[in-house]
Amino acid sequence: MIILTNNPDVAQTFQDRNVLWVDGSYRDVLIEARDMIHQGRRLLTHPLMGSLKPNETPYRSVAVSSEQGDLDMDSLLLIENAIETFDKFAQVTRPDRGVNTPERMLADFRLIDLSLIESALEDR
Amino acid sequence: MIKVVHYINQFYAGKGGEEMANIPPEKVKGFVGPGMAFNAAFKGEAEIVATVFCGDSYFNENKEAIDTVIAMIKEEQPDIVICGPAFNAGRYGVACGTVASEVKAQLGIPTLTGMYDENPGVDMFKSKTIIMKTKDSAAGMRKAVAAMAPVALRMAKGEELGSAAAEGYFPTGIRKGLFEEKRGSARAVDMLLKKLAGEEFETEYPMPQFDRVQPNPAVVDLAHAKVALVTSGGIVPKGNPDHIESSSASHYGKYDIEGVQVLTDKTYETAHGGYDPVYANADPNRVLPVDVMREFEKEGRIGELSHYYYATVGNGTAVASAKKFADTFSKELIADGVQAVILTST
Amino acid sequence: MGIIKITDIQFAAESKVEGSVLYVNRDELKAHILEDETLASCELDIAKPGESVRITPVKDVIEPRVKVSGEGGVFPGWMAKVKTVGSGRTNVLKGAAVVTTGKIVGFQEGIIDMCGEGAKYSPFSQLNNLVLCVEPVEGTLQHAYEKAVRLAGLKAATYLGKLAKDIEAEEVRTYETPTITEGIKLYPDLPRVGYVLMLQSQGLLHDTYVYGVDAKQSLTTMLYPTETMDGAIISGNCVSACDKNTTYHHLNNPVIEDLYARHGKDLNFVGVIITNENVYLADKERSSDWSAKLCEYLGLDGAIISQEGFGNPDTDLIMNCKKIEAKGVKTVIITDEYAGQDGASQSLADADIAANACVTGGNANTVIHLPKMDKVIGHIEYVDKIAGGWSGSLQEDGSIVAELQVITGATNEMGFNTFSAR
Repeated sequence: MIILTNNPDVAQTFQDRNVLWVDGSYRDVLIEARDMIHQGRRLLTHPLMGSLKPNETPYRSVAVSSEQGDLDMDSLLLIENAIETFDKFAQVTRPDRGVNTPERMLADFRLIDLSLIESALEDR
Repeated sequence: MIKVVHYINQFYAGKGGEEMANIPPEKVKGFVGPGMAFNAAFKGEAEIVATVFCGDSYFNENKEAIDTVIAMIKEEQPDIVICGPAFNAGRYGVACGTVASEVKAQLGIPTLTGMYDENPGVDMFKSKTIIMKTKDSAAGMRKAVAAMAPVALRMAKGEELGSAAAEGYFPTGIRKGLFEEKRGSARAVDMLLKKLAGEEFETEYPMPQFDRVQPNPAVVDLAHAKVALVTSGGIVPKGNPDHIESSSASHYGKYDIEGVQVLTDKTYETAHGGYDPVYANADPNRVLPVDVMREFEKEGRIGELSHYYYATVGNGTAVASAKKFADTFSKELIADGVQAVILTST
Repeated sequence: MGIIKITDIQFAAESKVEGSVLYVNRDELKAHILEDETLASCELDIAKPGESVRITPVKDVIEPRVKVSGEGGVFPGWMAKVKTVGSGRTNVLKGAAVVTTGKIVGFQEGIIDMCGEGAKYSPFSQLNNLVLCVEPVEGTLQHAYEKAVRLAGLKAATYLGKLAKDIEAEEVRTYETPTITEGIKLYPDLPRVGYVLMLQSQGLLHDTYVYGVDAKQSLTTMLYPTETMDGAIISGNCVSACDKNTTYHHLNNPVIEDLYARHGKDLNFVGVIITNENVYLADKERSSDWSAKLCEYLGLDGAIISQEGFGNPDTDLIMNCKKIEAKGVKTVIITDEYAGQDGASQSLADADIAANACVTGGNANTVIHLPKMDKVIGHIEYVDKIAGGWSGSLQEDGSIVAELQVITGATNEMGFNTFSAR
């Protein structure tokens, strides 16, 4: 399993596992995941996990399989839909998200992202 | 008095047909051509103050055309802009749709156009402007004007339109909020009981339809199969003998490549108007890979390359038209004993 | 179900229900809630329909209930022993609710306006609300604080519910719960209909509990419909105000009520299948396989599927729908939409042609203008930070321009409201 993330808390927590650090945005994580699916990996977690909208939280973590096989259409459809949904929400910009977000709130966004991916990957 | 600007093409402006499709935008005072019928249908409530027209090819091939048209319309400060109707004319439909949606977006003026169901402009613009349903040819002009004029008057007055079905326009796909009589759960139970009883029911959110085609089983013995090439990338013999349109193609071409080993810039070119043609014209094999197919033929990886290839332009061509093309030439492919087809696009 | 109508709440020296008025001893209830050592303070307030009051950020809404007869107690696994509920009689303080607020995380969300434009969209604007603002002791982690607020709400609702234990309700509603074989004998000719209730179960602030168990750790299973009426399912979900199912929604599940309304007449309501909305894709496959299997096993002719939340759950909804339809069971799904502020974007993150019968709770991106209120209970400064609010949402005059998303319960995916979209 490979965990793609732009959330330092996830990278820290899963440091003993196979983490691929994405130095970029929520969308960059989705694009990285899409590229890996193009290379025959399967999605293991839902790319739109959590009810926080893509224009609220700047953090995203997604798990994909280490093994590569034939192109998995279900994974491809899921990730493409997720990118489309991301872009739909990006039309309403929230300037207080991301760059100008106060640190306390960023910490909360990191915590939610970490908690969701932790609960998904527990014991796996 | 409500001020109307009318947008039409070179044909309805009386300038001529395909041979005049390259004229740039022009504006004249008052009405021209079908504008007369509109003016009459307004019954004194509105008047066409100016008519803007442009050649369909010019409009579709020159990016600045739309800016010129918008500037011309802006000067008139109209209350509404009517485009067409375009019936089933593909490039005219795209022009009408572009003008209507850009005027609405950039100038904030209500716009209205009319098209036939299969006009590619319908799918491209129905969420961006109101498109009234019309017949497929100018024979439906009288009916189209009778339907469009009253709707245009109401839009110009700022009145809300009724549902797509009631007013006769294509559903815009734009979701509007409303309070229903019953709550959602009760509506769900009603809907389920109808569905169970086999009665008609209306879903509140129609799922987006994707036209999925199940792939055929793999060709077992490719080394002995006859393979054909089909492209929507517009590769045609130099000079485009069948005059396939650069966009919204109305037909396809069938071309003999018996003995042709490789396509060259001397013999073939692309008719496609939707991408930069430099690389396709320099080496047409990039879009229609005759060179590689001949190599495969020699190496015995395929049995043979079919003598004919089929080509059209996929640029804004209606799905319905594309289906019709394929319905016809698929039968020929089968009759020719073709077992596999490689479809290339751009 | 004994219905005791409440038309007013007042603070008083003694907690009691008299006529249709609920009297609350503020200090006594406060002390009861503050027994939890995680909590540093607790403020109680009252918000009534029509008042110029805004409550935010809302975490949960709970209806006070009490078990009069039958096994177990309300909120089993939390406020009562883990005993199967759903039989006997339960008294309900109809028209009253406990609303909990607390800034658990910096982007906590949810607005209830008691009057004006916003009141049209939230069902809780019509209730007499006892509002709890609870603050944790310094250093409490978010997980622990969420749990403390959740329990404070259940405690308060239980406390109020008990005031109605000995009241003889004027209106009594009866719900029939035959076993499967009894049901077949009773209504051999009616279509057999089930309800697939999807529960939010993704992790912190996204959880639902069944008899005290976190739903994400449970396989798809079955309940008698009446179990939900005694609080078998409670909400630990704080995110996505407009389409989260609060505990109030679970207690008053509208699909269950409306299926009962036609039970024995037009259909035979067989039971409730509860299934989760996990993040791990293999969990989704398993849970939806099991929903479909149970629908088949119960010999259902039709099923209504309801959803909770945005994005990820769209995938569970479509999987459930597809697989259940594939078993030959006709479905209707209930969802809501994120079609953009102009209503022109694709509404769902997932779609399938099998979902040909869909009821919608409306477009959560719809922009609304909420007027200034004279009084705010909670923390208004969070409005800019909540889902559907954006920088500048909170206007200088105290009014708010935001998306419908901010209103608690506005686009509920159990079909609680009349709001919809076409």
